[in-house]
Amino acid sequence: MQLSILLITLGLMGVAGWLILRAVWATEGPSAPKTINRTRSCFLWGMIAVGVVISVGSLREWPHTSAADDALIVNITSGQWWWETDTTEIPLGQQVEFRVTTEDVNHGLGIYDPDMNLVVQVQAMPTYTNKVVHTFDKAGQYQILCMELCGIAHHDMTYDFEVLEQN
Amino acid sequence: MSATDVHSAESGPNPQEALVKFTMLLGGVVFLLMMVFGLIMRVAQGDLISLDPEIFYLLLTAHGAGMVGSAALSGAAILWFFSARHLNLRSSIYIAFLGLFLAGVVLILGSIFIGGYGGAWTFLFPLPAMSGGLWEAWAGVMFCVGYLLIGVGFLLYYLELGLKIASRYNGLLGGLGWRYLFANNSTDVPPPTIVAASSVLVFNTIGIVFGAAVLAASIVNLLLPSFEVDPLLAKNAIYFFGHVFINATIYMAITAVYEILPDYTGRPWKSTKLFIGAWAAVVVFVQAVYFHHLLQDVNMPAWTMAVGQIVSYASGVPLIGVTVFSLAVYIKGSGLKWDLPISLLTLGVVGWGLGSIPAMVDGMVSVNKLMHNTQWVPGHFHTYLLLGEVAMAFGFAAWLVRDKAVTILSNLDRLVFRAYVFGGAGFVLIFLWSGASSIPRRWAVHYEQWQLQSQLASGFALIVVLATLVLVVRYVAGLARRSQ
Repeated sequence: MQLSILLITLGLMGVAGWLILRAVWATEGPSAPKTINRTRSCFLWGMIAVGVVISVGSLREWPHTSAADDALIVNITSGQWWWETDTTEIPLGQQVEFRVTTEDVNHGLGIYDPDMNLVVQVQAMPTYTNKVVHTFDKAGQYQILCMELCGIAHHDMTYDFEVLEQN
Repeated sequence: MSATDVHSAESGPNPQEALVKFTMLLGGVVFLLMMVFGLIMRVAQGDLISLDPEIFYLLLTAHGAGMVGSAALSGAAILWFFSARHLNLRSSIYIAFLGLFLAGVVLILGSIFIGGYGGAWTFLFPLPAMSGGLWEAWAGVMFCVGYLLIGVGFLLYYLELGLKIASRYNGLLGGLGWRYLFANNSTDVPPPTIVAASSVLVFNTIGIVFGAAVLAASIVNLLLPSFEVDPLLAKNAIYFFGHVFINATIYMAITAVYEILPDYTGRPWKSTKLFIGAWAAVVVFVQAVYFHHLLQDVNMPAWTMAVGQIVSYASGVPLIGVTVFSLAVYIKGSGLKWDLPISLLTLGVVGWGLGSIPAMVDGMVSVNKLMHNTQWVPGHFHTYLLLGEVAMAFGFAAWLVRDKAVTILSNLDRLVFRAYVFGGAGFVLIFLWSGASSIPRRWAVHYEQWQLQSQLASGFALIVVLATLVLVVRYVAGLARRSQ
């Protein structure tokens, strides 16, 4: 997923950069044609149309999934610089609702799969419980890393748990 | 005055020139120093040197606050300089602004390097008061008071701009150009710089007021821990202030392009209805978009996240469709001769525009789940700051001390420019790659599998630092030449 995001972004930056530089480097060529304002209008309306399509397409199904009735609830508490959970074993394919809070400053719950790819995250904020829902589709050792600067041992604030295949 | 009048021509000596030159010198030196801090952090993450994490987080805090401060200072100097072409601004106000700014900087540096404050430039509540033993409460207070002094300086600066704009253009609505835009009244249409100045002073004043409120609350919390603030409310105020403030730096610096580019192209940058409408949109968008910083705070109402995503994209429309597009149209076929100032200014606009693309992508709720607080974030903001605002600032500085007899890129200038672009592009692309590799931001120590990217980034950062060193030395030499 992250690789797709990177490639799409670099592609867009590359195309936009090429179009801009092609015009900017053509100082000695002809000026922009008289129809340039019409071209710009089309471009602006095109950007708006693309924006509407992207917004509707990406928000119609709300990205922060709600938990189903049979979701496994895992409570996670955090503090400088530790994580504590109800369980260290989660069944593969089981929808999980993580309920995350902190006893001191803000932290960020980032869940990393066995290949160290970030699969889901949510903030941990004092006096609030933040819920995030995820279904694990790969078994193995997962890590929780802190994603929000929380002091001198921020980078040491990690925690391991297992996603196990169900027998 | 009609909408097509020329505003860009130089009209005699600028009364603010000496002050602005001094400010750009300060800004340039601090930019360079902060880049060195950034280089040290990347080298440490690459495990090329051993750096105590405590020192890393101090450098991180100084780097963030220093870069935002230098961007704000250079942007303010640029806007002040060009506004003075159209308004009779008082130097005494600028001196007071600069004095408050420097006093704030002294307090911030003291809090970091004497007090050990390492809670990042974002001072996310309640971290300043809960250091885990790293710093005392007084250091947090000192940091917040430093910010407040800088904020007071900016409020003074904007008050002077607002008073003079209102007086000259028949109220702030006149300065914003809204009478022309909404009532079709084409008498006394403001030049682009004044439209920009009016817009920035509106949204940045609001942003600073929110920042001051949460800073005051943080200070009370530091002194009286029983005084509690809702952390979600505090985070909203901090990110509203922070987002608006850092964006204001670019929106101030862009006036250098409005005013200098016409000298090279012979084509004035015009206050058309599209231009004024784009700025009106910016006034709204730059404030409404801050919700995209809270997409992982799921207790925020869902509509705020939708607004954050939609406005993130919408913000790119006036930037790419108006500012960048206009730059290309003004330059194409103009016969412009490239020298260092105009090369850097053009780079600044292009870098700003391109940097908005990964920002827009990260503004999507579904993408943000995977990219938030990874190195993707410094990837996009370094694109529109290092290759955007900072490039504009150095372009303006180079223009201030330009040798009018020289109208081409010298071999040294060409080398420096190419090094800055090459180093900067490589540096930000590695950040984006690292973000896509799920590497978290703001980690003092990197796992072994992340270190190659940090090492490569260090090489590119070193090139940028060397290019910037030449730019600063070149500026100092230019100042010395001009003073003879």
